[in-house]
Amino acid sequence: MNRRQLLSLLGVSPAILAASPAEAREKKHKNVAGNGGDDAKFMALSPKGTPPPVQRFSMAPRLSAIQGKTIYLVDTGFLGADQLLQQVAAWFQKNQPDVKTVLRKKAGTYPEEDPKLWAEIKANGNATIMAIGH
Amino acid sequence: MEKMGIPSVPLVTRAYEDLAKSTAAERGMPTLRIVFTVHPIWGKTPEELWAAVNGPDPITGKPMMKEIMDDLTAPLSAEDQKSGLLPVPAGPETFGPDSLDNLQSYFMNNAMTDYMPIIVPTEATVAAMLKGTSHQPDELVGKAGGYKYNVKQVAVNAVMAGCDPSYLPVLLAIASTGDLALGTSTTSFGYSMIINGPIRDKLSMNYGIGALSPFAQSNATIGRAWTLMGKNLGVGAIPGQTYWGGQGNTLNYNNAVVAEDEKNSPWTPFHVQKGFKPEENVVSIFNGWDIRQGHGAKGAGAVLPKFDEQISSMLPTLTRMFNALVICDPLTVKALVEQGYDTKEKLQDWLWKNTTVSAKEYRDSFLAHVWLYPRALRGEEPYATWYKVPEDMQIPCWPKASDIEFVVAGGQTNTFFQVGNMNYVRSVSIDKWV
Repeated sequence: MNRRQLLSLLGVSPAILAASPAEAREKKHKNVAGNGGDDAKFMALSPKGTPPPVQRFSMAPRLSAIQGKTIYLVDTGFLGADQLLQQVAAWFQKNQPDVKTVLRKKAGTYPEEDPKLWAEIKANGNATIMAIGH
Repeated sequence: MEKMGIPSVPLVTRAYEDLAKSTAAERGMPTLRIVFTVHPIWGKTPEELWAAVNGPDPITGKPMMKEIMDDLTAPLSAEDQKSGLLPVPAGPETFGPDSLDNLQSYFMNNAMTDYMPIIVPTEATVAAMLKGTSHQPDELVGKAGGYKYNVKQVAVNAVMAGCDPSYLPVLLAIASTGDLALGTSTTSFGYSMIINGPIRDKLSMNYGIGALSPFAQSNATIGRAWTLMGKNLGVGAIPGQTYWGGQGNTLNYNNAVVAEDEKNSPWTPFHVQKGFKPEENVVSIFNGWDIRQGHGAKGAGAVLPKFDEQISSMLPTLTRMFNALVICDPLTVKALVEQGYDTKEKLQDWLWKNTTVSAKEYRDSFLAHVWLYPRALRGEEPYATWYKVPEDMQIPCWPKASDIEFVVAGGQTNTFFQVGNMNYVRSVSIDKWV
């Protein structure tokens, strides 16, 4: 009985002792490192991409006062955002009753714009509070 | 909203502090007034949320609602009103001179690796890698998250992963799409790719025994390089800043590189399905969540195992947020052909029609609620209809039959298959980058 048959009977693959053809194929690819000796010094190149410049924008002018204004509460789709904003609306009703709140769920997934809602807010709202995070 | 002239306050759960601040800065408003609340808010009772609203901002300690009102009314500072183009420093182009050991540590300690040893990308090793393409080192390859990268920057990542120069065109093709691995989501995305065409044999890719395991340098290092590109070429993947996967994903180590066994498959190769010629070399990109074992077939004891029914039984266990990618061993394909599925399309069609869930079950999934309900809200079909029909109505798992994709790979040691919850993203030519 040769070694291969013995290993097979023991349920052991002969490939454990001799590398498989696939692994042999792997070994023929030469590593491109070209490692130097222990004392050698090298410059390494950065793997990083190039960041874009930032286009800065001025923030919108703030409200002179919050009383009498319409604030849109925007649910951007994160889990629990609608329930949180319901409590924010309740807080305004209790503490700032002359502030009108409008709760809306944004259409589309988190990062997608909702031009219809943005137009509604532009036409009817004075400010927004946008809930983000689960 | 701010750009439209509407004063706004993002109310952000505290776990996303860094992300919210860095995103505001990247979008051009580094002083954006952000208010934070508790995390998580999901699953909280109305009473708990009421307490959160009446409580402090957990970052600043100020009363949350007062902070919101102040942020909407306090006049803008000069810094708040700045505009114009602000250049962002790109960081050093080189590191060293130093020993290879120290450079290895530097790369690891600065989050540029996958925390396994890399080949240090020296001038010599990168020059050798660049011989794998005819394209110039400074040629722009693509963009991701606004970041740009050229041939040389892709080659640096290829060296680090241990690639042979002959693999570089595959990586350039992937990089050209802007689809870099390690995208961020709290749900821990995974990625996969299918490679078709003669290049599979030229690169000694493994599509036989252990096709999805570490048995070939090309499969292993091409997948690894995709992750390194995801870490380095774009916004990066820094936990808590630019990566948010709650549990992570083991697929991120090498991204499940599948070379299709075109020779042993009677079905149309994947790239030909996508409009390429058989002789073209193509990489097809997928993103999603996981790949799981198919666990055999139905019809125990029958002469003809029922793989169609087994695949069908697994599909409803996937999320609807991503589609399906079924990886079949050639022996499984042979059995499916004997069942009558002599084309991928016939099997796709049968599965789509015969794998359904109730509308209630579909809508009950919180992931469908987060990702698909908002699409229904804007009237996108079939989601709009699927959110209106009676709860007991049976609906397909995905909008169309082709959302269930098939690819063939495996060593024919047994009739098995695997199922991925993966979305097909796109296919691109590798030949363009040779």
